Order: sequence, then C-alpha cells, then structure tokens
Amino acid sequence: MTSAITVRNPALLSLIVDLGRTGFGAVGVPSSSALDRYACQALYCLLNRANAPVLEVMGPRFALQFDSDVVCAIAGARVKAFLDETPLRPWASFQSKKGSILRVKEITEGFRYYIGFAGRIKAEAVMGSYATNLECRFGGLNGAPLKSGDILHLEESQEIETNVIPLNLIPPMNSPHILRVIEGPEAGSFNDGSRRHFWEKGYHELFTVSTNLNRTGIRLNGTPLVFKPEAPKSIVSEGIVPGTIQIPGDGLPIIMLNERTIGGYARVAVIARADQDRLAHLKANDLVCFERITVEEGERLWREKQKRIVQLQSLTGSA
Amino acid sequence: MIIQRYAENALRIIFGNQIDMEVHEKVRRAFFLLISLHRHDIIEIIPSFCSCLVIYEDDLTSYQTLAGLLNERLADLSAVEMPPPQVHEIPVHYGSDYGPDLSFVAGHCQLTVAEVIERHCAEIYTVFTVGFTPGFPYMGTLDERIAAPRLETPRTRIPAGSVGIAQRQTGIYPFESPAGWRIIGRTDIRLFDPARPPYSLMQIGDKVRFIEEH
Repeated sequence: MTSAITVRNPALLSLIVDLGRTGFGAVGVPSSSALDRYACQALYCLLNRANAPVLEVMGPRFALQFDSDVVCAIAGARVKAFLDETPLRPWASFQSKKGSILRVKEITEGFRYYIGFAGRIKAEAVMGSYATNLECRFGGLNGAPLKSGDILHLEESQEIETNVIPLNLIPPMNSPHILRVIEGPEAGSFNDGSRRHFWEKGYHELFTVSTNLNRTGIRLNGTPLVFKPEAPKSIVSEGIVPGTIQIPGDGLPIIMLNERTIGGYARVAVIARADQDRLAHLKANDLVCFERITVEEGERLWREKQKRIVQLQSLTGSA
Repeated sequence: MIIQRYAENALRIIFGNQIDMEVHEKVRRAFFLLISLHRHDIIEIIPSFCSCLVIYEDDLTSYQTLAGLLNERLADLSAVEMPPPQVHEIPVHYGSDYGPDLSFVAGHCQLTVAEVIERHCAEIYTVFTVGFTPGFPYMGTLDERIAAPRLETPRTRIPAGSVGIAQRQTGIYPFESPAGWRIIGRTDIRLFDPARPPYSLMQIGDKVRFIEEH
C-alpha cells in the first residue's frame, strides 16, 4: 500500500534523517544522524519500525497534508500541534485522515522536533543511510531541505495502533542545559583556573548559545578559556567524535555535532554520550554549563539511557 | 605507539605529534591492518596525520579488551599488506576567478604568479588524510617558498573543485563549502561521488600531482 504526504510549510528547516551513516569516516563522510537520536528511537517505537527515514524540523509553523489515512507520530521538542482543529499529545502517535492537515503552531520546550509515519518515506539510501548531508547535498530528498509542495511518498504503509510515550520517558529540554562532559585529549592545554570554571561544581561558568549554530556545530559565548603559555592553539588535525568541544584561538567553545570527522582545534572535553541528544535542543541565548564526570560514569549513564530505550520498546510493543 | 581513550566508545592510536612521512607511513600501515582485522566491534576508523581514531561498539567490547588486543596486533607493522598508492594527476586552472588568492600568495611569498604555479606543480604530494568534507584530501608537503597563512576570516562559500593552500599543505574542496585556505585555482575533476563506490577519488597514502591547465 502506498500513500503520499504533501509538505505545506517546511518551517525554518526540515530534512530527512535517520540514525546516521557509519563506516566511511576514513574518507571524511560524517554520520549526519538525527541530532536527537533518542527522539528518533521513540518514533521508531511508536511506529513499529527501525532505521526508517524521519523528518527533523526546526521552528514553528510546520504543516503537512495527508492524502490518505496514515498513522503519524511526533517526538523531540515539545510542541503545540494540531490535526486539523484537534490538539495532539506530545511524544505520541495519532491516526490522520485523508485530506487532514498537521500543523505545528508553537514550540514550548526544546528546539528540534521529529515526525515519522507508519510507512517508509521513499528516499534513496546513500552509503547505507537516509540522513541528509546538507553541506554536500546528498542523502534525504536529493540532499536538500524540504520545501513547500514537496511530496513524500510512503511505501510499506501499515495500519498500527496509536500509542503514547509516558512522561517519565520524555527528557527535559529547556535552558539552562547542564551537560556532563568527559575530559578531552587536550584538556591539559588550558590553565587550572579555566578548567575549574569550565567544569567544576560550584565554579560553573555559564555560557550562552550564540546565534552561530547549525547542524555542524554550536558556538558558545562567555568567558574565554585561557591556554597555558606553552600550549599550542591548534593541533595537527585529527579524528574527532560527535560531541567534542573544541576551543579555537579566541578561547570560546564550539560543540561539534555530527557533520565533521576531523578537527584541528584543542579538544577540551567531550559531551557524555548520554547527554548528546540534548544538543539538538540548544538554541540561541540558551544557557549552558558543563559538569565533569569520569569516563566510567559516562559509560554508566549511557547504559541507563539504553535501558530507557528498551523500556520505550517494551511499552510500545515494538521490541 | 600509544593507545589513549577518547570518550566512552573511542580510542586514539597515536604514532607521533608532527606531520612527517615516517609517522604517516605508520598511520597508513595501522589503518590497513585495522581494516584487515574485519572486527564487528570496530565501527569507524579515521586515520589522520599522526593517529588513527577508532570508534567501537561498546555493547560488543570494552576499552580494556580492545586496547589490549590492538596493542598486540599493531606491535609489528612491517608485514602489513596494503594496496599500492594510486597516483592522481589533477589539471588545475590557476588564478583569475578560479584562484582569487593566487596574487596574494605571490605577493606574500615575493614571487611571480608563474613561479607560484610552477612550484605548486613541481611536487608529488602525499595524501595524509581525507576529511573536513567527504573526499577532501589534506596533502603535503608544500614547498615552503609558497607557504601562506590561512585566511583570518574563512569564506562562507567557495565552488567545488577549488584548490587551496595553507601553511605547508595543499587541498582540494570536493564540494561547495566554507573555506579558510588560500584558493589558488580550480579543477574540474570530481573528488567525491556519493552514488558510486568507493565514493572518494582519494584515500590516505595516495600521490597527487597538479598540472597547469591553460
């Protein structure tokens, strides 16, 4: 069974994503995955499918129209969304009717939200993933953001029960964002005072998210970190993992997301894996502070997070 | 060789701390050895100038297990089987709109434009790593007489195929993208094709020669 959906308003930016591209880092191909992978997983659970393409949307006023009955779900940022005039629950799936219009009117918490369907959006997998590499224009829908009038064709549409993610499995997304970090390879390049203010409890420096943010990275404003006099301000370019916090010569942090495999600035820290989904929800003027944890603590938090994904799967019967 | 942990699910295998051919050769050997292990717990290997970054599946292994194993397997890099480096000849239109920084580089280096082009074409470069954007080769070593600093403020958009230099390196931008290097020319050769394996024209260890196209 196939059906189609017409994009009526793509909001600020909407694109097709999934859990990302792996295995081509040696030739510089980044993951380009959904920034909030947990929200993406929640959609997979609500829609009873794995690794399907979903939409990642920024900004209010997103709208699309259904040309047949299909189950749809929204997760990620908390939004005020309506199917025609009916308000929709956040982090839930709902049954849409032919001709009905889904409108997102307002974002009340967080920044990016995710929309998926009980069917597979027809898109070409490039190097094993549907994720859009916006900078290089491949993946997703011809490598481009969605625009008004685009038609998404759904294949393998299924009739499924609608479901709701319970509140205790929906993470907070509002500013201030307290992000746990693990020391990075060049943490030793910064003086003791800078490091203390960067990540020690009781000394927290609050940073502000600048307007210089996109899917590649997030620049923060605040008190610059100070390099030790003997420390080099750039390093020989080297592989980086998503969530790496780089400090360029001006001392202000850049949080790298999922679009670069290599970096050339001092890596003071890495956002704990369990907290990386939160990065999808940092928006201009939000407050951010960092809290240092050990790598073992990071592993433990990640295992806990994975348990929550298993809980999602069992609640929705998609395990 | 030193193995260091980096985040919960990654480790760095470090062979030195500066750009040189000896370190590069070790990185390259380690990269091809890592591939030949065909390990399901390794999900990404990113070789660069001085190290290999390995991202692993932590459900299948642990840092201790993997680091122990790699310490053993990488101890002897002398017998690694590797593909021979490919040699690429890249025709370049130098200067004018293709290379807006060519005259800056000539002025900075107190050379004529023709001398800069001649020196850029004289070397056979080695691809030290591929990254920044998919297929971007970081190549060295550039003749120090034409070395120029990066731009203070990167350009937000340059065309695909732009050939840049920065310090002792040269590179080619496969996609329209932001760029901080001095752009001296442009090639029509396609460096990355997402529709066709192996996708990237170049990989670590390849050799490159530029040819002036008139």
